[in-house]
Amino acid sequence: MSDPILAVEDLRVAFDTRDGLVQAVDGVTWSVAPGRTLGIVGESGSGKTVAATTAMGLVRGARVRTSGRVLLEGEDLLAASPERLRRVRGATIAMVFQDPLSALHPLMRVGAQIAEALRSHRSGMSAADARARAIELLEHVAIPNARQRVDAYPHELSGGMRQRAMIAMALANEPRVLIADEPTTALDVTVQRQILALLRRLRDELGMAMVLITHDLGVVAETADDVAVMYAGRIVEQAPAAELFAAPQHPYTWGLLRSMPRLDAPAGAELVPIPGRPPSLVHPPSGCRFHPRCPYVRERHRSVDPALEPLAGTPEHRVACLLSEAERRAIWARLAQGAPR
Amino acid sequence: MAAYVLRRVLWGVVLLALVSLLTFVVFYVLPSADPAQLRAGRNANPATLAQIRASLGLDRPLTAQYWTFLTHIVLHADLGYSYYSGASVGSLIVDRLPATISLTLGAAVVWVLAAVPLGVVSAARRGTWVDKLTTGGALLGISAPVYWLGLLALYLFADDIGRFPLFPGAGSYVPLTDDPWKWFTSLILPWLVLASTFTAVYARLLRGNMIEVLSEDYVTTARAKGLSERRVVWNHGLRAAVTPLVTLAGLDIGLLLGGAVLTEAVFGIPGIGRLNYEAIVHADYPVIQGTVLLAACFVIVANIVVDVAYAYLDPRVRER
Amino acid sequence: MRRSVKRALPLLLLTLAAVLSACGSSNSNGGGSAATADDGAGGHRGGTVTVLTSQDVTSLDPGITYQSLDLNVLASVVRTLYTYTPTAPATLVPDLAAGPPQIADGGKTLTVRLRRGVRFAPPVNREVTAGDVKYAIERGFNPNVANAYASTYYGDVVGADRASGGPIAGIETPDDFTLVFRLTRPTASLLVQSTVLPLSAPVPPEYAKPFDAKAPSQYAAHVVSTGPYMVAADGSGRVLDTGYVPGRSLRLVRNPNWRAASDHRPAYLDGIDFKIGGSATVYGRQTLVGRGLVLADPPTPALVKKAYQQARDQIFFSPGAGTRYAALNTAIPPFDDANVRKAVAAALDREQMRRVRGGAVIGDIATHFLYPGVQGFEEAGGLQGTGVDFLADPQGDRALAARYMRAAGYADGRYSGGATVQIVGLAGAPDSNDAQIFDQTLQDLGFRTNLKLVDSTVMYGRFCGVPRARVNACPNVGWLRDFADPQTVLNLAFNGKFIFPENNPNWPQLNDPAINRAMDRAELTVGTQARANAWAAIDRMVTATAAAVPWLYDRQPNVFAKDVRCVPELWNQGHCDFSYTSLK
Repeated sequence: MSDPILAVEDLRVAFDTRDGLVQAVDGVTWSVAPGRTLGIVGESGSGKTVAATTAMGLVRGARVRTSGRVLLEGEDLLAASPERLRRVRGATIAMVFQDPLSALHPLMRVGAQIAEALRSHRSGMSAADARARAIELLEHVAIPNARQRVDAYPHELSGGMRQRAMIAMALANEPRVLIADEPTTALDVTVQRQILALLRRLRDELGMAMVLITHDLGVVAETADDVAVMYAGRIVEQAPAAELFAAPQHPYTWGLLRSMPRLDAPAGAELVPIPGRPPSLVHPPSGCRFHPRCPYVRERHRSVDPALEPLAGTPEHRVACLLSEAERRAIWARLAQGAPR
Repeated sequence: MAAYVLRRVLWGVVLLALVSLLTFVVFYVLPSADPAQLRAGRNANPATLAQIRASLGLDRPLTAQYWTFLTHIVLHADLGYSYYSGASVGSLIVDRLPATISLTLGAAVVWVLAAVPLGVVSAARRGTWVDKLTTGGALLGISAPVYWLGLLALYLFADDIGRFPLFPGAGSYVPLTDDPWKWFTSLILPWLVLASTFTAVYARLLRGNMIEVLSEDYVTTARAKGLSERRVVWNHGLRAAVTPLVTLAGLDIGLLLGGAVLTEAVFGIPGIGRLNYEAIVHADYPVIQGTVLLAACFVIVANIVVDVAYAYLDPRVRER
Repeated sequence: MRRSVKRALPLLLLTLAAVLSACGSSNSNGGGSAATADDGAGGHRGGTVTVLTSQDVTSLDPGITYQSLDLNVLASVVRTLYTYTPTAPATLVPDLAAGPPQIADGGKTLTVRLRRGVRFAPPVNREVTAGDVKYAIERGFNPNVANAYASTYYGDVVGADRASGGPIAGIETPDDFTLVFRLTRPTASLLVQSTVLPLSAPVPPEYAKPFDAKAPSQYAAHVVSTGPYMVAADGSGRVLDTGYVPGRSLRLVRNPNWRAASDHRPAYLDGIDFKIGGSATVYGRQTLVGRGLVLADPPTPALVKKAYQQARDQIFFSPGAGTRYAALNTAIPPFDDANVRKAVAAALDREQMRRVRGGAVIGDIATHFLYPGVQGFEEAGGLQGTGVDFLADPQGDRALAARYMRAAGYADGRYSGGATVQIVGLAGAPDSNDAQIFDQTLQDLGFRTNLKLVDSTVMYGRFCGVPRARVNACPNVGWLRDFADPQTVLNLAFNGKFIFPENNPNWPQLNDPAINRAMDRAELTVGTQARANAWAAIDRMVTATAAAVPWLYDRQPNVFAKDVRCVPELWNQGHCDFSYTSLK
């Protein structure tokens, strides 16, 4: 792949809370190149959002401990000054959030919020120009009647239009990287597809690198080029999208796939949820972090912590699992047929 | 919006009628003091008492008294005459109102100007010494009784009895139209004293709201957009946090316009609060009715204004 | 009249008591070396005094007014038939009258000749005539004016019983400068004494009648002066909102039509400004450190202490401010038994009651009900007392109290009955402290008590003045005279015929036929000395019943600024008399 524009290296983020140190992100490394989309998948509590917001420098405070590097065009954002960060955010790297109703300021008109994004990075832009550009942006994200809608308040728009407006706001300054945190979760299914299509179009138009964070494998399948699966603050499997869906290697990934409804599954096949609950991030399980919920757990897995290793044969595909590759292939072959385990 | 305001105003009139009835019941039917007795002193025999009652119109049946009172207000805008001075209640109120308005509005300006920065800064710098100092000061401001604060202020800063003579002392109030400079300087201490409790309460409230607001998603979005921290806190944060304070301020001002008795008493400001208190002590019913109705009026109007303002400030609340 | 409302803040009482009782003898001319009574002679002319008062005047209408502050104002504004000079509170002095009164017909006729040359202030301007005094008294019976004491003191005038504002036959004016009162009973001596009250101040009928026709009368807003000062007015004579702004200010200026030659008042000051309605605490402090200021409010104990310690020449303790006593309800058990009452009187430590108010400088221990400055005081025993054993010891005599309880049938000297005694006193120090001492005294005698502390209006209006409320004891009541005649102290307070269902002045509900008869006879006694003797005897009788326990002959402290030469009205709570006061 071409040189990555955003690279996260061994990122660790911990929160000092009353109940103890919460290790939300425990050594995560991923990167994304211009024009490519990285999908990050995991359940809530896996650390996927924290990693991304930390990358933006949005997670700061007396009780936060971060280590590692976040390189944007070669510059480490974690070591950057607040003023430098401010200049980069919204201009070079932008973020779209999950619930546009709560992520947009309820008391400001949508057009004004977009104009604000424009003017804070382009000193000298007049209010009239910013407003005109805001209308253009709204039209660009396919919001009908943009001239009226530019003066609307967020609660006056439908869910889909709100998300489009937020995307317009994020893209106002033509960023090189876009991080989208669950951009479709709050929307219904038909709208989801439209938004994803919009994101893909914009990515291609602007040549952006996109990081798509979601718990929905369906979204990832459609849109991502590469996928990273996160569990308990770590990446447990990482591969190009096609490879992951064809030959998933981690029991957690299998669980995710099997709990997802698929059109090509045999009729009458049941959805199989992953048993158990997400682990505590203050006192994570010993050994392999997934072992309490893994149907294939062995004694050794309770004490040995697997590292993320590339597969022999396909080095872009990495897994953190103590089962042998052969075993894993065999198990997946069975599961793909519809066997229970 | 116009229909809404009209509806509220009509309800307001109904409320005023109810208030006047309640006041009437409290003071005429369940009196704590008999104005005839107060006037007569203890020398009066029952015949004299009866005479005084008759001269004040107190011997007529209660419903007749109330009816007269009501018709006078509605038809002649006549609130009656004080039992004591014989002055018309309307003129007494008009005479005292400017002082109360001066006191209330001035104090409101002070407490808003003081509370907003204190609240914002102590929220933004939560846990630091600034925050702790503000919280401690707020506790003092809320706990200290206004009367005591007023006395303290006078004993420290009044130019006649204070240790550090800086400001005019009690009883130096003059109307704005008489001498603007003297009016202003005589109100400085009363404004500060009256505003102190409110500043404390509002700063604490704003701090709480701001802390909540600063953890909202849209604040994260604002930061993600690359806005300066100052803009994030003041334009995005404060804008969302201040709405409940605006409505509260409206209500508090409405209440205070009915008279800030203690502050007026300590500083000798001839306002509605003192008028009301003196009327109660003398069982001067017409004046009591007048001041109570006035206070109720202010509260009702304040409520309406505040509701309209809230709809203006928070577009989510507007009815379609 | 009963005591005006005293408002005091609870500050530093014990230290106050310690300080004040350590010094100050009971010099009846003002305690210790505090300011002494002054007759005002030789004062400087000119200047304005500012009077600070947290209480407003009740009314400026001389036909209505009855409160201490109002009397203080009117003393400089209107002239009555007879009056008192500030330092002689028991001696009648002619004011509007040209000379001493002539009582004839065994006390049924009173003739007064009027001074000539006394003029009304603008806008009336003309000379005062007898017809003006006649109208002034007649309007007191007008329901629109409803004077509180008119029927009490002028009720014996022929035709007064039917009067309702129209002419009264018994007041005759044979010429413009002669007044003749014809009475149905021989009470002329009392009547002439009562003319010191403002009802006898002349009111011009042609000017006042339109105001008196309104209910209530509007004359207060247009009051016309005859004294050295007048309430500042506009051209039409309206004082309301010009010289008098209710609750705010009152301005007295010189009456241009007043002639010094016709008056014994020197009238040094050019004007008097009243500032009404602030905080009594702040006013006190301002008076102490300021100039040209007089405090009209009763000073708080803290202020009394401060003034006594730091500015003794700025505080005057005015004697003859009334008697404080504890009324015991004689109509219902347990105080219907005279022996029980005497036990209570014997048990009460009256010196302690005085100590919590400030000690010896604040007044003398009371031994009967007439007090210094009232005619008949000395005749009834003076400060020594009437000789009853249960009031012999000012600190109380517990052994004697026990003996009286045994005489009442309680063998071990303590109450053993089932009734709970209801006590109603005044809230706020030091009155509440006195009520609590009294409460404790009763408990020590074995009574179960229920003490309620309320404010003055409620205490008189709802409890002590209402027999139906069945209150057993009221320790905070007191009596002020209306004028020097002892009838005004004893009659309403202890005569059985004045027990009313509401606004009852006879709080103990004393109804002793012998005393009632003696009072009715004394009412009709003619001549100042004869009356003094008659009422002194009644004072002894009332004291002997122990229907009430007298405990203090009050001295009212008054505070004024260091440059004010205050001449206190000994007949009116020691308020500075502005017709005699001057600036140093």
